[in-house]
Amino acid sequence: MVSIYNSIMPVVQRLAESGWLPESLKYAFVFNSLVAALILGPVLGGIGTLVVTKRLAFFSQAIGNAALTGVAIGIILGESYTSPYVSLFSFCIIFGMAMIFTRNRTKMTTDTLIAIFLCISLAVGACILLYVTAKVNVHVLDNVLFGSILTVNELDLNVLFVISFICILCGLGFYNRMVLSSFNPNLARVRGIKVIFLDYLFILMVTIITVASVKIIGAILVEALLVIPAASARNLSRSMRGFFFYSAAFSTLSCVIGIVIPMELEIPVPSGGAIILVAAFFFAATTAIRQLRRAYPALGKI
Amino acid sequence: MLTKNEDPPRGPSICFEMVGLCLSNITILQDVSFTVKAGDMHCLIGPNGGGKTSLILSLLGQMPHTGRIAINWTDGTTIGYVPQVLDFDRTLPVTVNNFMTMICQNMPAFIRTKKRYKDIINNALRLVSMDTKAERRLGELSGGEMQRVLFAQALIPFPDLLILDEPGAGIDRIGARVIEEIILVLKKQKVTMVWINHDLKQVRQMADAVTCIHKQVLFSGTPEEVLTTEKVFQAFSATTTNVRRDSP
Repeated sequence: MVSIYNSIMPVVQRLAESGWLPESLKYAFVFNSLVAALILGPVLGGIGTLVVTKRLAFFSQAIGNAALTGVAIGIILGESYTSPYVSLFSFCIIFGMAMIFTRNRTKMTTDTLIAIFLCISLAVGACILLYVTAKVNVHVLDNVLFGSILTVNELDLNVLFVISFICILCGLGFYNRMVLSSFNPNLARVRGIKVIFLDYLFILMVTIITVASVKIIGAILVEALLVIPAASARNLSRSMRGFFFYSAAFSTLSCVIGIVIPMELEIPVPSGGAIILVAAFFFAATTAIRQLRRAYPALGKI
Repeated sequence: MLTKNEDPPRGPSICFEMVGLCLSNITILQDVSFTVKAGDMHCLIGPNGGGKTSLILSLLGQMPHTGRIAINWTDGTTIGYVPQVLDFDRTLPVTVNNFMTMICQNMPAFIRTKKRYKDIINNALRLVSMDTKAERRLGELSGGEMQRVLFAQALIPFPDLLILDEPGAGIDRIGARVIEEIILVLKKQKVTMVWINHDLKQVRQMADAVTCIHKQVLFSGTPEEVLTTEKVFQAFSATTTNVRRDSP
């Protein structure tokens, strides 16, 4: 993986220097963040269609908050504060699993349960952060919350590669079954689908991709990229094909544009914020198109 | 038993023995015992909240019931299940074809429908007269059309045992006729059917046997025997007495 990456980078840098590609690409961190965006975009967009279908938008928000606590725990345990992956993954996975376990056991409605877990995780995070601020500059946390492409390194890219690969495999293999389980669990079980197992697997997918996106998009904003592109795609599409591919395209474009434009125009904004603003633009545009199509049905055929 | 001239039924027989179900300390079913004969169209009737759907879910092995439910399996017996509703966001861009594809194959429905499933899906949809609406979104279907699609999915693969959870509820006239016609075809093929049905007229016309459930079996037998005005009246007026008994 690293060797492929190392062989592509010099080529891109040479092209950037000779003027074929934007000049900023000659910097390693720009290249890193664009590679991350190109991997993350389609994966988040694709998983987003499932998040929207299964109505679990707020769940990913809760995981994002848990990521903050995960980072705080990592710093306390002495992990590097720029990439405390062990604590991040462990805490978020335990958190996600605990949430779905409680839901299955108590039959509590999902929104109540998510609200409870979200608050607990924020409370724990807030308490631990008090200790953390004594150790490191609290602004380090901005990077975790809102994303910072400047700090994306090879470790982050490798984590992203592996996690995306796992998510793509699970996502493609179980897509239909995950959707059916949410449509009618009884019907899904009659058809031999292991509904509970897929529930856990899906939560695991959302959790690990959220953690892997923390560096680029930020813990608080990952949810937006899981929901907004899929919602925009829903505005335009009539079938699952459009839904999935539009969503993946919107998400990828948001990531790339959100990284490139602030850099080219030298606007100092966090990458996560810029990415989500681009995604929001797509949502506004597609909503307008949808309204126009409703008002003038002839446009729908174009 | 069967005479030599008759085709053996393709569906299994089902025997419920002292089936009980208790969820969160509330008794849903108690001592339910009756038999569904192989190849029979067996209707379940009874007041709402009487435990019919719970009994069906117990039969499908999805409830922690007590007692015994024996399905007389042969190799390769397939079960079709027609649920009451699908729970989904009506604005989702999922077409009838997408839904049927998800039922048939593991390859994501957004990629494509495999060639070998296209005809199967089309035939199933044609049987319920929904083939012309295959590209409609699920959210745009009427209640009756949705029921027909749910019926179509239960026909893939062709079932030996078909379990229907009130497919008639909220259905339009065309839909009801379409479903009646298919049920008659399945009856000829001697598929065993367990059908929760509120339409007593339909039960009288089509069912081979009928069981009335309200926590317990109130009566069970052929429609001619048991669907007398007095018994039906008793069954549905039993609702009030039993509910009173349950409340603290």
